[in-house]
Amino acid sequence: MVFSYNWLKDYVKNLPKPAKLAGLLNLYAFEVEEVKNPPAGGSKDWILDIDVLPNRAPDCFSHIGIAREIAAITGLTLQIPTAEIKENKDIKTKDFVSVEVKNKQACPRYTARVINNVKVGPSPKWLKDRLKVCGLRPINNVVDIANYVMLETGQPLHVFDGEKLEGKKIIVRFAQKNEKIVTLDEEKYDLDENILVIADAKRPIAIAGIKGGKLPEIDNKTKTIILESANFDSRIIRKGSQRLKLKTDASWRFEHGIDPNLTESAINRAAFLIQKLAKGKVAKGLVDVYPQKVLSRRIKLDLNYLERLLGTKIPAWRIKDILKRLGLKLKVSQSQSMTVEIPTFRLDLSIPEDLIEEIGRIAGLWKIKAVFPSVSLIPPKKNFNIFWEEVTRNILKGAGFTEVYNYSFINENDRRVFGGKELIEVENPLSVEQKYLRPSLIPNLLKNIQKNQRYFNDIKIFELGKIFRKLKKVEEKRELTGVIVGDEFYQLKGVVDLLLHGLGISDIYYDEYQATPEESKLAIWYPQKCAEIKVGQEEIGFLGEIAQKIIDGFKIEKKVVVFDIDFEKLQRLSSEETIYQPISRYPAAVRDLAVLVPLGTKVETVLNKIEAIGGKLIRDIDLFDIYEGEELPQGKKNLAFHIIYQAKDKTLSSREVDEMQKKIIKTLEKNPEWQVRK
Amino acid sequence: MVKINLKLLKKRAQKEIAQAGDLKLLNEVFKKYLGKKGELTFVLRSLEKLPKAKRKKVGQEANELKNYLKVQLDQKIVAIKERVKKETEEKEWIDITQPGKKPLVGHLHPLTQVRKKTEEIFQAMGFTVTEGPEVENEWYNFDALNIPKDHPARDLWDTFYLKGGLLLRTHTTPVDVRYMGKNNPPLRIITIGRCFRHEATDASHESNFYQMDGLMVGPDISVANFKATIQEFFQRFFGKPIEIRIRPSHFPFTEPSFEVDMTCSVCGGKGCSACQKTGWMEMMGAGMMHPNVFKNAGLNPKNWQGWAFGMGFDRLAMMKYKINDIRLFYSGDLRFLRQF
Repeated sequence: MVFSYNWLKDYVKNLPKPAKLAGLLNLYAFEVEEVKNPPAGGSKDWILDIDVLPNRAPDCFSHIGIAREIAAITGLTLQIPTAEIKENKDIKTKDFVSVEVKNKQACPRYTARVINNVKVGPSPKWLKDRLKVCGLRPINNVVDIANYVMLETGQPLHVFDGEKLEGKKIIVRFAQKNEKIVTLDEEKYDLDENILVIADAKRPIAIAGIKGGKLPEIDNKTKTIILESANFDSRIIRKGSQRLKLKTDASWRFEHGIDPNLTESAINRAAFLIQKLAKGKVAKGLVDVYPQKVLSRRIKLDLNYLERLLGTKIPAWRIKDILKRLGLKLKVSQSQSMTVEIPTFRLDLSIPEDLIEEIGRIAGLWKIKAVFPSVSLIPPKKNFNIFWEEVTRNILKGAGFTEVYNYSFINENDRRVFGGKELIEVENPLSVEQKYLRPSLIPNLLKNIQKNQRYFNDIKIFELGKIFRKLKKVEEKRELTGVIVGDEFYQLKGVVDLLLHGLGISDIYYDEYQATPEESKLAIWYPQKCAEIKVGQEEIGFLGEIAQKIIDGFKIEKKVVVFDIDFEKLQRLSSEETIYQPISRYPAAVRDLAVLVPLGTKVETVLNKIEAIGGKLIRDIDLFDIYEGEELPQGKKNLAFHIIYQAKDKTLSSREVDEMQKKIIKTLEKNPEWQVRK
Repeated sequence: MVKINLKLLKKRAQKEIAQAGDLKLLNEVFKKYLGKKGELTFVLRSLEKLPKAKRKKVGQEANELKNYLKVQLDQKIVAIKERVKKETEEKEWIDITQPGKKPLVGHLHPLTQVRKKTEEIFQAMGFTVTEGPEVENEWYNFDALNIPKDHPARDLWDTFYLKGGLLLRTHTTPVDVRYMGKNNPPLRIITIGRCFRHEATDASHESNFYQMDGLMVGPDISVANFKATIQEFFQRFFGKPIEIRIRPSHFPFTEPSFEVDMTCSVCGGKGCSACQKTGWMEMMGAGMMHPNVFKNAGLNPKNWQGWAFGMGFDRLAMMKYKINDIRLFYSGDLRFLRQF
């Protein structure tokens, strides 16, 4: 909110220079965004743009409030203008208007005054200047004074033309369904039962606490005015303002809450100024509907607690001085406690901690010295989620993968491919790109490839992040997804093996991908180039090539292979334990074996056969070459293995090894389609 | 005759050893004199034909000569090997300016790296690293933090709502309440996690971002303790002396509340463009946990007090690496990511 420096100067003598003042406010009260001069042609003044903290809106959305703050910080004297109105005994307020408040909770207080014989006209220059500095447009003296008093005191005021009211009545009530109002700026609003209005005998004449209606507008012929200074419930004003999408200087103040005791001094101040500047006569009697007077609260402050919370000692005399400067009354003072009376304009002070903040703030939070806490030596708990995430990331980094962080959202197009009934929709998305929570990390990784393929040939990226699904309830879980560009299924399979071994998982195998009926419709995987990654009997994720249609849809030029692993499952299976396997003291013998098999034969089938025969005497079988080519018979491929023979308890003689090898060859050749090459 | 022969033989052998330029030639010399059919070997073998009186004398001389030649040959071998080594060393060289072959490794996201560093610093000060859900409910995100419904304070957090009533957490502070609900003080925790704000994106704002939250609760944890702890964190993080300044602020879940400034990491407090010539950089919001939050977490505020802070984590990484646009973190752009 913007404030006029000159205006503040009226209330605080010897006000520090603007830049210095801004510095003080920064350290002791509110951040000052900017100090600047009014635009050319304006008055000679400074505009202070102050970020009043939201809890201080009730007292500091006003020049008097800020002046009071400055006085408290600096110790300078505060001079608030007084309003001595002269009521005219011949005219009586009640002859012009009667006020009825239908809902006392919505409107805790309603004060009104009548001023007769006003001369509506332009405001004097000084008044216009001040409004302009504060960003308001001058209209006429009566309306300008109402606005001026709002900027001065924080109390929004409203003015009606008394002769335009039907039935000389003001009724504060909720609107009825289908009621309408045209506001001062000629906008039409449809009202409903949630919106509080000010009405005359017939119709709404203002949206309470938000904006005045066109009907009783002040014009040049206006003679009798009714001044309104009321207090409205902050929640009701906030709801109304949101419903009508209408924010005004008044609604903004009301929704932050205002002291009901402020209405009277504000209305008197306005009446005083109107009397002075628009020559009106103030009718006798203040209308004041105030059924439940708000009284000041008391807070008991424990001085030990103050010291313990701030971690610094503030002497009692200094505390008393600060309380006084802030306008807080010390009622009872004991050695260890003080009882303080809080004036009603400080809506923000209700618990001892609030008072401690005030004392710490004015004493200077920045002066508190840093002191390390003395606490018991309790070692931090190990966070296993973060530990395993880190191990995983480091393995993938070592395997040449770069980590990306993508948005947690996907768009409508992604939904068609990756969505399902479990998708979670954002109620208020920022854009169509962010309409749903991601159910998979794959779509955004594919977008990464699309964007990067212009610059890089080799793309290996992964993400470890949350995905979201709605099952019985919303479920979020960590997913680990890696992608590689190119026809690189086996390379990525090797990475998955490396990763799982690095996480201490051994019982890994790859199974045929079985699409559920629902999944088959989505078909993101290339048929027959996709596997389920299994550990024991549990499926933990998928490895495969992405279907061509999808790759085309994402405008990706090359093949893409992906692993997509449920990280929650992966972590559950991970283990830090590695058990040493004794190295055999007996020598190993290596024999090579090449076998010609049909193209459709799986390596695993051949391996299983060899292992079944070799049993414990085979330490390892290493597939070192797969060859398909013209020299080979049609429809065949050649698999070449190193078979490593080694026993744990003896040296194998070459005769034993050769016999074993012969036995293997014989068994393999039982299959008429297989041919061992000699 | 034999006597003369030995003297001559010695002279000839000496000369030939001296002249042999490499190991092959030297081997020839060895064979010629000391080999199976060597001249000296022949002399030694023919000793038995000599009369007894002479045999002893000649035998002694021939054996001495044999030992002498062996030593000479050995010395020469060492000398030649030395020379060859030296020559090779002079000839062979490596162009040390030719580029090395880098093993291909990947890159961890800068936020991952800064996160690790941050967690390590706090863990060293006894903080446990915690987490919480990204999809939250209104209670934990707002109500429990003393931000009532229909209160203008809620406007400070622009929120993404999900169909069905849940929301995306706007800060990591709900984790404080969740943790306190399950763990009794004294406690020290740090949370770094993804948060969401419904606001337009630009170079310094993102709808997806990371926040760091810290909480320390005990019987007498104070503002002064906060200052010391957070100053220590920043000093370790930036690796230089740093001052902390706190100023009044307001958050519904802390009382007192403050803004936390640190000496500008660029100019060290002298004033520069990075700190708008103030010498200070605004780093985080913090405060002493509000009694209502303790109550909402099931703790008795009469027994416990403590500080909490929350700060934009992306900004910390941006300061560390001098990154000027937060959107780069979420761009997946390998030209950016491969720099880390």
